[in-house]
Amino acid sequence: MAKKNPKEKNTKEKEPEYISVQFDAPRKYRWSTGKYMGRTYQEAKENKKLVANRCVKCKEVLWPPVEVCGRCKVEAGEDWVELSQTGTVMQYTYLVYPLWDPHYGEKFANPYPNAMILLDGGVYIRHFLEETDQKKLKVGMRVQAVWREDHERGEGTADVKYFRTIDS
Amino acid sequence: MPNRVAIVGIGQTRHQNTRLDVTLPEMINEAVRAALADAELSLKDIEAVFTSSMETFEGIYLPDHGGAAEIGTYMKPGFKVGTGGTSGASVVVEGFSMVSGGLYDLALVIGFEKQDCGETTAAITAAATPIWGKGAVTGAIGEFAKQALSYLETSGAKEEHAAMVRLKADRGACLNEYSHLKLGLKSIDEVLQSGYLVWPLRMLDFCPQSSGACALIFAEEKKAKKISKKPVWIADVEVVHQEPFRAGTFGDPTGKETYTQHVACERLYKRNGITKPMKDIDMAELYEPSNWEEMSLYEHFHFCEKNEGWKLVEQGVTEIEGAFPVNPSGGVIATNPIGATPTIRVAEAALQIRGDAGGHQVPKDIKTALATALGGPNWTVLTLLKRSL
Repeated sequence: MAKKNPKEKNTKEKEPEYISVQFDAPRKYRWSTGKYMGRTYQEAKENKKLVANRCVKCKEVLWPPVEVCGRCKVEAGEDWVELSQTGTVMQYTYLVYPLWDPHYGEKFANPYPNAMILLDGGVYIRHFLEETDQKKLKVGMRVQAVWREDHERGEGTADVKYFRTIDS
Repeated sequence: MPNRVAIVGIGQTRHQNTRLDVTLPEMINEAVRAALADAELSLKDIEAVFTSSMETFEGIYLPDHGGAAEIGTYMKPGFKVGTGGTSGASVVVEGFSMVSGGLYDLALVIGFEKQDCGETTAAITAAATPIWGKGAVTGAIGEFAKQALSYLETSGAKEEHAAMVRLKADRGACLNEYSHLKLGLKSIDEVLQSGYLVWPLRMLDFCPQSSGACALIFAEEKKAKKISKKPVWIADVEVVHQEPFRAGTFGDPTGKETYTQHVACERLYKRNGITKPMKDIDMAELYEPSNWEEMSLYEHFHFCEKNEGWKLVEQGVTEIEGAFPVNPSGGVIATNPIGATPTIRVAEAALQIRGDAGGHQVPKDIKTALATALGGPNWTVLTLLKRSL
């Protein structure tokens, strides 16, 4: 019989106990919507419209609406356009594992799939899909915005609850 | 003429999920000591210190502010850089610029992250502002999930190819003494059976949360030659930022958006006479948070044509013993202390040039290597390293 290595006895060290401190950090913040996005918030809340400004130079629709066109490096201006509320799903995903949401302060798996939707007219919007049956989700599916109730609105593009599947 | 700059010291911690045995500065100190030992220098020799990490990932702003002594910043100039996922490469560019410009002859550059402190996915999701994108809570994972779906639907790649990339990474990680996840994966099926995290990304398709630090010492030419027998020269760097993609953060289903990877690598290749990247460069350490993204990056950096990244995987070109090794270290999918991750890419590429990578040293002689970084709204930072200039 092989002799036991005397060192082997000591290899099972006691698990050290480390001291750590736990803390929660609830904080309150306030963000202004600014000169341009404020308009988008207002139109969504009052008129259930999605609006964006166009660059005066290149005529690209800027979404989210902004003060300066990054490509032309000019003041984008006040050429406001209304975006279509129907579009085509180009990418999508859905949460399987719950994640912490800093905006709501809780951990949850949002039941609604998250999608990149190409609105008719050529602007992309990152939003949710009403359809939760994974088998029915497809790249290329046609969808339409569904708005929240009057008293629920005031949160910009989140005033759209999700996009509902429509016949193509 | 700007000064030539070389990496003369490399140090990193053993990366792992949880480091309850040390504070953040103590953890950083391990990497700093390792880099100083590698260069046979002491902290007294260092003129300036530059650091980087992801803001608020440890739950507070300036997580390193109590650690001037351990980190080496005490009574020295320098600052912390924060550019999101690319931070650890931005700090390399910063240190390089300072030494190259002649402000300092010897600088210490550090990337760090201690993700065991708390909710880093909450921190990264907080990059979506409360006024734009609220509730779109999928963290970085959701963006890479959409990228994976686009790649799956348009490139011709199958899930098996992503699994092959994951197996390649794990083989490297198991040979790398510093890597975090060493899983010993054996088969494609094993990867394909792992559960979904954010569809279509599986648990094994995405990087872990790691805690760790990486430190590099940069020296100007004369000092570099005196300090090190094997200085690794920083031949060039490139930084390109972009607005958030209107069409997607890490994948563009329209084909109309400009990828910062294209702009960055085209500028870098042109300045350095690189016409055939896979021939003119010997290996690469890419910032690939997911195996799907790695295949995309092969295409973005012009290693191959569009929709052919998965073919390189199939042919084994990017394996450790392949013609163009990519991420022999195991890469980001095995080890991701985010603020340190791009610094580790540079460190690992430099070790390959020196021949000091240890277990995962590639068999091929490496004279030129590319280290990349990715983050934020598809930002790109590149570092080109050479054995001689």
